[in-house]
Amino acid sequence: MCVLCWQFLTEDHWTDRRFDDGETAATGSASSDGERARRRARQHRTRLLNCILSHYGLRVDDWQSRSYVLSDRKGRAVMVQDLGALWPAAQQLAGRCLDPLDPWLLEMLDQHGGASEPVS
Amino acid sequence: MNGPAKRPITIVTGFLGSGKTTLLRRLLAGPEARDTAVLVNEFGEVGLDHYLMQRIDEQTILLGGGCVCCTVRHDLVRTLTDLLDRDQRGAIPRLKRVVIETTGLADPAPILFTVVTDPMLQHHFRIEGVVTTVDAVNGGLHLDRHPESLKQVVSADEIVVTKTDLARPNTVNLLIARLQAINPAARITTAVFGHVDPRRLLGPRGGATLAARLASTLPAAAPAPAHDVLGTHSRHAGQTRSLALTFVQPLDWIAFSVWLSMLLHARGEDVLRVKGLLNVGAARPVVLNGVRHIMHAPEHLERSLSAEQHSHLVFILHAIEPDDIVRSLRAFQHLLGAEPHVDDADLHR
Repeated sequence: MCVLCWQFLTEDHWTDRRFDDGETAATGSASSDGERARRRARQHRTRLLNCILSHYGLRVDDWQSRSYVLSDRKGRAVMVQDLGALWPAAQQLAGRCLDPLDPWLLEMLDQHGGASEPVS
Repeated sequence: MNGPAKRPITIVTGFLGSGKTTLLRRLLAGPEARDTAVLVNEFGEVGLDHYLMQRIDEQTILLGGGCVCCTVRHDLVRTLTDLLDRDQRGAIPRLKRVVIETTGLADPAPILFTVVTDPMLQHHFRIEGVVTTVDAVNGGLHLDRHPESLKQVVSADEIVVTKTDLARPNTVNLLIARLQAINPAARITTAVFGHVDPRRLLGPRGGATLAARLASTLPAAAPAPAHDVLGTHSRHAGQTRSLALTFVQPLDWIAFSVWLSMLLHARGEDVLRVKGLLNVGAARPVVLNGVRHIMHAPEHLERSLSAEQHSHLVFILHAIEPDDIVRSLRAFQHLLGAEPHVDDADLHR
């Protein structure tokens, strides 16, 4: 249980599995190397997410390497734990389903090759 | 977190009268079933005699999202918790395995969802596999008329075609071809009166875990680019398709998991199955296994496959055109780091 937000933390979401090398399938090593790798992975994921979310006027920021803060241009923000919670929250903020098969999104990705104008 | 410490659960499912109980009776007679707990929904006419057998009354709790596969089987939580308690107190011999026999009309997905997501059960149990029985005589009819039968086949890791002695060889062959098209990632075997090598369905299998089985079936099982798996006589014709993909370059796991989680959020009920072996740039491939919204925790394969370390991915889709998946993966390829190639059946058969 998180003492600040009272979230009940059970198990890592399947997307939080990391496969940094051939020997370990880490989900959060206590070692400093493991912690650095975990932070790098989260930064990389945040960048990738923003490549997609920017097309919907949304932005995500890492929060203490523990959660993500999802926000829109109106200043609305919501904290989510993992990708299992992020997509429903993004749908609510964007007012539409974020669908990777949506031809509009695919056209945007084709044209921009990544992020559109970053949401600030 | 440590996989081997978790007690494996094998789910035996199959449509009404498809021979689940007969198969189970055979399996339980062998030494492999020692210290195996058996949970059944109904005591059938075929008497099952096993000292660790319990009956469970299906009690489901539909979660807020309303998706049928994301349903908690409260009865199962209670029964497995009780079993674990007895195991840890030493009231029963050390539990090696649990077998759950579903009803003939059951969708196995809520069982998977319950074990994978329950805060306590997920640390003590793991789903090793789904065994689905299909009646050689009536299986085709069941697939045509009953969506439950299709869900059971789609969820399967092992398919046992039963009553093959009662059907014409041609009928059996056609059914097997159809089952392969529906679920290219499942291993299919035939059985008369439940005669199947128990080691194939129950452990110990010398490390033949779900992951290893995937390795043995997936690369050879890739179907044609897109199959209409139910045939022209089916009411579902044109709606359920399978798609096999290969990625030559290593996949960016983080990018792929972003894409797949987004897909499962938007279209999870229509992604009936996703199964794959992924080269994510590590020494060993990663095994991916999901049924609709429910993903097993991805894990490394215990060994390397071969010098060729391409990623293989199979989708079973409902109401999604396979071309749409390919189109999306191509648009995302600059993020994924790899381009999808649709497998050609001729390369694999």
